[in-house]
Amino acid sequence: MSLQFSGIHKSFGAIHAVRGVSLEIAAGSAHALVGENGAGKSTLLKILAGLVTPDAGEIRWHGRPLDHRSPRQAIEHGIGMVYQEMLCFPNLTVAGNIFAGREMCRYGALDEAAMRARTAALLDRLSLRIDPDTPAEYLSAAHRQLLQVARALAFECQILVLDEPTTALTDSEAEHLFEVLRELQRGGTTIVYVSHRLPEVFRLCGRITVLRDGELVGTFERHAVAPADIVRAMVGRDLPARSAEARDAHAITALRAKADHPGLSITNLSRAPHFGNISLNVGHGEIVGLFGLVGSGRSELLETIFGVHRPDSGGIDIDGTTVRFGAARDAVRAGLALVPEERHRQGLFFNLTLRHNLVVARSAVTREVLIHERDEIAGATRLLEEWRIKAPGVAATPDNLSGGNQQKVVLAKWLAAHPRVLLLDEPTKGVDVGAKFEIHEMIRRQADQGLAVLVVSSDLPEILALSHRVLVMKEGRLQGELPGPAATEEAVMHLATHDEVNA
Amino acid sequence: MKQLRGMRELSTVAILIAEVLFFAWYLWPESGRAHPFLNAENAVLILKYSSIYGIAAVGAAVIIICGGIDLSPGAVIALAGVVTGHLFVVDHWGLAPSAAAGIFAGVAAGLVTSVLVVVVKLPPFIATLGVMGITRGLAFIITEGQYYDVSSRLGAGFRPLGLPADWLAPIVMFAMAIVFQLLMTKFQWGRAVFSIGGNETAALFSGIAIGRVKSSVYVAGAALASIAGVVLVVVQGQGKADLATGYELDIIASAVVGGASLAGGRGSVMGAVLGTLIFGVLRNALPQIPGATFYDRLIVGLVVIAIVVADQLLLKRGSKS
Repeated sequence: MSLQFSGIHKSFGAIHAVRGVSLEIAAGSAHALVGENGAGKSTLLKILAGLVTPDAGEIRWHGRPLDHRSPRQAIEHGIGMVYQEMLCFPNLTVAGNIFAGREMCRYGALDEAAMRARTAALLDRLSLRIDPDTPAEYLSAAHRQLLQVARALAFECQILVLDEPTTALTDSEAEHLFEVLRELQRGGTTIVYVSHRLPEVFRLCGRITVLRDGELVGTFERHAVAPADIVRAMVGRDLPARSAEARDAHAITALRAKADHPGLSITNLSRAPHFGNISLNVGHGEIVGLFGLVGSGRSELLETIFGVHRPDSGGIDIDGTTVRFGAARDAVRAGLALVPEERHRQGLFFNLTLRHNLVVARSAVTREVLIHERDEIAGATRLLEEWRIKAPGVAATPDNLSGGNQQKVVLAKWLAAHPRVLLLDEPTKGVDVGAKFEIHEMIRRQADQGLAVLVVSSDLPEILALSHRVLVMKEGRLQGELPGPAATEEAVMHLATHDEVNA
Repeated sequence: MKQLRGMRELSTVAILIAEVLFFAWYLWPESGRAHPFLNAENAVLILKYSSIYGIAAVGAAVIIICGGIDLSPGAVIALAGVVTGHLFVVDHWGLAPSAAAGIFAGVAAGLVTSVLVVVVKLPPFIATLGVMGITRGLAFIITEGQYYDVSSRLGAGFRPLGLPADWLAPIVMFAMAIVFQLLMTKFQWGRAVFSIGGNETAALFSGIAIGRVKSSVYVAGAALASIAGVVLVVVQGQGKADLATGYELDIIASAVVGGASLAGGRGSVMGAVLGTLIFGVLRNALPQIPGATFYDRLIVGLVVIAIVVADQLLLKRGSKS
């Protein structure tokens, strides 16, 4: 009684995404699939979901081959998917989303009442207190994620596959999701869980399968391994840990440097309803971490500093000069760079080559009229090497790259424009461990060379690893500031959730 | 990507050559008679009439690559032609100032479009649909139903730039195509157009002057259409309000057949020009086939679909290998 993958192969052109993976997932278990981006997890999931047909190999469920050619057939076989990107129809209601494509009908007409009742029952089962008639666009990120789970449950799925479901969730929301998943598992549902976040994997799953470069590294019993072993299996090497002392020494030099180099300074910046009265300074050579959960107004703050939105009030100074941006273009020219949260939507041009992607920000600064092809090719090639971006060459397009390499392209593009202030919004979101480490090193090196860095993240270990000072934002307000040595996980979370604790 | 784009233009050339060969074979005359299709005179004729579409299609390609769409070129051709004709024939202006005024009128229409798209933020389809109605309407108001006999005032010996009048349109088309091909591939402006069409949000975050580039694109499109209008009036010898009716869809189809993606971010100016030649050959050769007269619109429609489907299949295979 199990879900069996045997000898699965899949190539996309020159890229051999999955190379002969055989794997068994016991029915009714919670099984994790981990690996860096490009390890082949997503392809395996897409095959299971019927989105991709394997070149060779087959999947069996209870010994019967699952030979589905479309997501619809996969659903009929009892496979429910919860994707990383929250797929939902913002224009439909909660009930409409759950039954989209599989509406309940009566005499050929939609049976709204039945669907509403069924939705209410499902929501109840997930302990979600939302009205089935609420349009999905008004739901929080967490509720939308759970809506997908409800959608999978609506057709009695036997296998529930979740791909990075907690990316946009707060800890308490993630906890709620885990409760639901454990409950489902107790009810006999098989859970396949894909995540970069090892603590989650260790909490939820009994067995952990590691993939690397499209091949199976091994399947481990949770009780027999430590997270460090899994990381080693994923990356294929040890990652050097950065010691706390080194960080503190770094913080002190940066603090000294800060006094004479103002960098970015913000006073009483407000933009209703996203944030109000934000004041902060980031000196040259300093990395300031801004920790806030989704919805805390952190991305809106960065975008306002960057000139995408206009503030209601307040001032922005760069190197002691007050600036007022009409558009992002003005900010770029004043020496600001923003690495936005969503690289697909806000960072990359998929119709253009890596060369164009890498030089586009710099050419916005230089006011060049002509394209100097040879210089650009040389510059872009150098950036690929410097950032160790795994790509076929500067003439490739970004869609051939893994998430980590795509993110490096976005970062490299901005640093090539030689900014004086770097704003980072979730710089390693959806990026594998190895690339994350490299990106962190690059950010530190840039700060050491005098760049003022403001990094926003909901990944607490990341904030702690990078920042000389940590600011905590909640519901559009700054909750407080912690100097590097005082910033511990507990202290930051305390500030970020303080009001909830009191309430 | 660049190689791919080069290949895409090559495949458009291949289609054009195949098409010419097909008609050369199909219309091959009995021995002793002149070939009705394959002769120099006919080639000039095809070029002359395709070029009106071609000049405007250069603009259409740029607009489509930028992620927009323009339904107004047919009407702008008419407005520019009518203004030129009125000033030249009724008000007895010189040809150059009349032409300049015609182009100016077309550019004004382009400015209105760009304000509607960039400032008012109307979807380009709606904005240009409105501008199409307005400009066509203005053309009718100016002419009051009459038509301007430009040719009789030009005289029979009219030789623009010292060349045969028939050469004017193709020369202007190729000149515009070369200028815009260079702008699109060798200048930052062109890259900005590709960037905006590929991902407008990313373009915004990259510091690209989106408003300015988009405005320039619609103004350029209107300028090219009005140049086409002036050329049309001069070449055809008459100006009237229903000039170039329905051209907009053929112009868009040419750009698309030439590789422009309506999703934005992909395409080429040269491809659009080649696309107009493909249609030009069809429009010229089909009526020469006995009994095909009533089929030409149908065949043109089928050709658009066939070429774009083939293109998508090739693109899919190209991304796999």
